[in-house]
Amino acid sequence: MTSKPQPRATAELERGYRNMLLPAVFAVGIFAIVPLAGMLALSFSDYHLIRGTNWDFGFKNFVRLVSDKRLMGSVYAMSVLSFFGVLTQVLIGAAIAVGLSKIVGKWRLGRVLFLLPYAVPHVAVALIWLSLFTPTLSPINAFFDLFGITVPSFLTTQNGALFAIVMADTWTNFPFAMLIILAALQGISPDLDEAAALDGATRVQSFFYVTLPLLIPAFLMVTLFRFIDSLKHFPMIFVMTKGGPGRSTQATNYYAYIQTFQNSNVAYGAAIAVTLFIVAAIISFYVARLNQRITS
Amino acid sequence: MKRLLTTLLSASLFAGVAATTTVHAQDEINVVMFGMPYTKGLQAIAGDFEKETGIKANIDVIGQDVFENRITLSFTGNTGDIDVVHTPVIQVQRWVAADWLKPITAEVDAMAVKSDIMAGPLDAYKINGEQWAVPYMAATGLMTYRKDILEAAGVEVPQTWEEMLAVAAKVHSDETAAIAMRAVPGQGFNMFIFPMVMRAYGGKFFEDYTAGDLTPAINSPETLEALNVYMKLLNEYGPQGAGNFNFAEVQAAAQNGQITFAVEGTGIAASLVDPDKSKFADKTGITLPPGGPAGRSPAIAVHGLGIPASAKNPELSAKFIEWAVSAETMTKIALAQPFSNFTTQSVAQNEEVIAKYSKVHPDFLAVQAEALNLAVGHYRPLLPEWPALGQAIGENINGALNGLMSPEEALEAAEQEMRDILGL
Repeated sequence: MTSKPQPRATAELERGYRNMLLPAVFAVGIFAIVPLAGMLALSFSDYHLIRGTNWDFGFKNFVRLVSDKRLMGSVYAMSVLSFFGVLTQVLIGAAIAVGLSKIVGKWRLGRVLFLLPYAVPHVAVALIWLSLFTPTLSPINAFFDLFGITVPSFLTTQNGALFAIVMADTWTNFPFAMLIILAALQGISPDLDEAAALDGATRVQSFFYVTLPLLIPAFLMVTLFRFIDSLKHFPMIFVMTKGGPGRSTQATNYYAYIQTFQNSNVAYGAAIAVTLFIVAAIISFYVARLNQRITS
Repeated sequence: MKRLLTTLLSASLFAGVAATTTVHAQDEINVVMFGMPYTKGLQAIAGDFEKETGIKANIDVIGQDVFENRITLSFTGNTGDIDVVHTPVIQVQRWVAADWLKPITAEVDAMAVKSDIMAGPLDAYKINGEQWAVPYMAATGLMTYRKDILEAAGVEVPQTWEEMLAVAAKVHSDETAAIAMRAVPGQGFNMFIFPMVMRAYGGKFFEDYTAGDLTPAINSPETLEALNVYMKLLNEYGPQGAGNFNFAEVQAAAQNGQITFAVEGTGIAASLVDPDKSKFADKTGITLPPGGPAGRSPAIAVHGLGIPASAKNPELSAKFIEWAVSAETMTKIALAQPFSNFTTQSVAQNEEVIAKYSKVHPDFLAVQAEALNLAVGHYRPLLPEWPALGQAIGENINGALNGLMSPEEALEAAEQEMRDILGL
């Protein structure tokens, strides 16, 4: 005789599942919520490493943010780095993913090669690109010198330095975009392509009208992940330019570091970090909603 | 609570910087330092300390950038996981103001080695009548030059920056640029080098630092003249890309024979005249950095060892420091590493040490002593706010060097930012 599960048994099961979640909730609480709350509290304080604190809480730091020209400069640097960095990573990642998805047989192992840059620590990546962009050290400059061509110095101009950081960032992060898009490509049934072919679509048409629309959720996700990560620009700037020339590659996260660690202004550094967090959260929310609308 | 919050903030901001916390066993201490010949040498002979005292010293030698974050997390969080900390003199005022260090006057007075330590560097760690750290090295600014290139051009070693401009014009070529110096922004980068030019022309940071008048005075005709010289040297007579050079790039350019002059700290300068480190060493001479109308002011950077306020075993920490700066330990490191700028004086009398550095370069020890003699202790102002001031000035100087603003605008902005930082 079979019987439906008793309501009591279901409730117990659910309770069991809920209990299983507890360690995760606990971990998120300790490692994400508590530090965030601490940062939020600091951002309203006047805490300074040298001057200490008068326990004066208020919106002072946020008011200062609005009129801080250096912050505006840092937002510009961050936007350029994030926009061009994420764009090139997603485009290159997608192009390679499409290429790799067509490869069958033992050559498939070749995809591991493309993953290598992703495994190199960021500081090492930055050092590699610093030497490539330093004219006296760079093999690229040495090569062109043989033909009497002088390659311009990138790291001493604002646009050049931003370009150099985008290059380094793209080199190490395109494999992430590639992986996600490759996985999405493999999830698309070949039947769809065949059906399109039967209906007379060319391969190009079938890619643009069948495959690409199905990849949009993957594109959105990868863009979002890379975008959020790109707001945290630090090692490349620290190693390659120290924020220079002048202050032109001081992205906002780097500026928060300068305020906190060089200027000892912990409260103001926290206010910058909180603002950055809120911006990232709002953008994530809208991208997630867009994703939901598209998939449904 | 405040400390807890700060720690959490720092941790959330810079999650990439791993803070390793080691559990304290009895008679075990943790020492955190950043990479330099001395600190690497000390790490290599940590076993000797354990043999002599039975205390195990875990010596962590990390990158300077990671170091800053590592100790800020530890000190603001009051974690007590560091027993002895690398204390650059340029940071000590700030650390004392933030209550991060323990005063160690009595401990230092009790050290037999005290009378053997150079008075200048030792006094640099005296604030409000208390001793806060013990120096182990005093690096100074030196200049290296390619003898063969100067000879071929028929010119002498320049004694002033003015002469340097003239010489640079004669020796500069497509193959070998005239000069390289640190240019990236930062109090320990371009602001370790630029004040040598600034002070030579009579430029200064404040109206009267020694008399206590801390009105910013960097926007002066003297500093402007110096900045123009510094910019002309690097932009017209420097290697391509000189505007983003740090010490590593200067060192590499000299080692590869791409420059004639390098103005650098002792460590880098020593490596350029050492036949084991540079293939151009036998053609390279070493001398004092150029001077100017206001004299010669070689850079100086003193490094020492301090005890964090949160250290759990200050007695053991003091014992370690005494061992680390002892003539015996210093001699071992001076022989094993390119470490000539020790502050424990009797090391300089050791025959093996003399023999080693004379072999590197016959003039080396003498030039270094002369530079140390000429250097002013407050070459970079000894103020808690210096890291912030140096960062702000350095960014503006670098901006001018790379053409983002005029030198006049850079100095005006630097002075205004100094006022803002000091709350004037």
